[in-house]
Amino acid sequence: MSKIVILGAGISGHVAASHLRRKLSKEHEVLVVSPNSNYQWIPSNIWVGVGRMKSKEILFPLAPLYKKKGIRYKQAKAITFHPEGDKTEQKPYILAEYVVGEKKGQQEKVTYDYLINATGPKLNFEATEGLTPGLNKTYSVCTYTHADHAWEGLNDLIQQMKQGKKVKILIGTGHAKATCQGAAFEYILNVEQELRRHKVRDMAEVTWISNEYQLGDFGMDGMLLSYGSMTMKSSEMVGMIFEDRDIKWILGVGVDKIENGIAYYENLDGEHKKEKYDFAMLIPSFSGHGFKAFDKNNEDVTSKLFKGFMIVDADYTSKPYEDWSVKDWPETYQNPSYQNIFAPGIAFAPPHAISKPRKSKNGTAIFPAPPRTGMPSGITAKLVADNIIDSIKSGKDTAHHKGSLGNMGAACIASAGFGITQGSGVSITTYPIVPDYEKYPKTQGRQLGKTFGEIGLAGHWLKLALHYAFIYKAKMRPFWWLIPE
Amino acid sequence: MTQRISKYQRFKMMNPIIQFFKFIYLSIKIMVVVAGGHGGTREVKSKVSKLVS
Repeated sequence: MSKIVILGAGISGHVAASHLRRKLSKEHEVLVVSPNSNYQWIPSNIWVGVGRMKSKEILFPLAPLYKKKGIRYKQAKAITFHPEGDKTEQKPYILAEYVVGEKKGQQEKVTYDYLINATGPKLNFEATEGLTPGLNKTYSVCTYTHADHAWEGLNDLIQQMKQGKKVKILIGTGHAKATCQGAAFEYILNVEQELRRHKVRDMAEVTWISNEYQLGDFGMDGMLLSYGSMTMKSSEMVGMIFEDRDIKWILGVGVDKIENGIAYYENLDGEHKKEKYDFAMLIPSFSGHGFKAFDKNNEDVTSKLFKGFMIVDADYTSKPYEDWSVKDWPETYQNPSYQNIFAPGIAFAPPHAISKPRKSKNGTAIFPAPPRTGMPSGITAKLVADNIIDSIKSGKDTAHHKGSLGNMGAACIASAGFGITQGSGVSITTYPIVPDYEKYPKTQGRQLGKTFGEIGLAGHWLKLALHYAFIYKAKMRPFWWLIPE
Repeated sequence: MTQRISKYQRFKMMNPIIQFFKFIYLSIKIMVVVAGGHGGTREVKSKVSKLVS
């Protein structure tokens, strides 16, 4: 029998656990180690943050589901990695610490035959001075609890606006190298729509602030896309939406400090400026969790496993932007030093950014880090699970399931406002996610037709349908596996 | 505020009947793009080690 340990129960970890359990016989053990008690469908946090959904609608407890499905579960957090075991434990293990219950604070060696690191990112709020959700009038929608707080703050502001107060709202990225611009993009459009619904839109100045060089970069270097019968740049599409909704924008800036109602930032010209606000939702930078790894002699081997995030089969050679290739990106998400360790989803270290790196005149790097959203997280988790399943079943080493972000499509259904008849969504698909300039040299590295955008009510319905479909899938209801990742 | 989306465009974007058909069309198109398969971009001699059977 084999024992597969999965660290994390987010989209990536949960997908891997679900597929492993479904396809492997009960003699093999699937164990999830996660400090979180709930599964949350993160894309719907946007709607929690504008009060159109309750957080309980986007989450469910993991323990009962895992018990029912035969997946073992420990509510604990990983502390250190021991991929060779140690002097007393022959098998590789991770040291985990329980976070709740009677065992809270106790540490345990969790051995494994295969390890899937799906710990996602650390929300690195500390990297920006003063950026703390709920303090200094700044909020976040990165988790459901953050989104709940954001709605409390926004609702309070709306009530003040109804009393006649004019306000400034600032939404975007809270660090020079933040990613996840898509979430902030959705949130600003939803907030703008809610202001109109509450009939206070004329009382607010709404501003987008971002480390993107151009609108619509989204950490993917922007894209050329089909829009109806036209071909347009994502910058033009987002510019059209923002102008139409009277949203101002500040681009190419790194927010480096927050005070109560003031965001300080540096722009690419090297100027230090500030922007006042009454409500801000700023996405923090993401980082690895700072795990340490040790070999059997207790020597530090962290550099074999981590480069911030986990090292996988990518080409991490340092090279200039002009020499970046789609081939640099990983295909199997397997650690080259310890080949029974994998890191799908957001847990792997990207070889480099996707957007062109830019520095301010002061030398500050200001550009988006690469995004890795739910869809590729699910796809990469499934292919990692499939490779492990094949290896166990065949008894042979195999890694024939591959999925480079340079040969994978993704859909971003960005909500632009909630409502069955008044809602809106911006539906964008991108193929491939990482531009392949060799294959598609004349269309900015992407295939037109498969890279397209649409705006309208159908986009809202689509996002709502995905919300229900993916929660159904995550709950492992009948025939859940028929729904693609 | 600059009106960048014409009244006719907006009508099409928000008309439930038109958008119902758009919903079907988008669902299929997105499925084709996303579920249409994925793969590698290079040859890699990467193998999974099976430690314990």
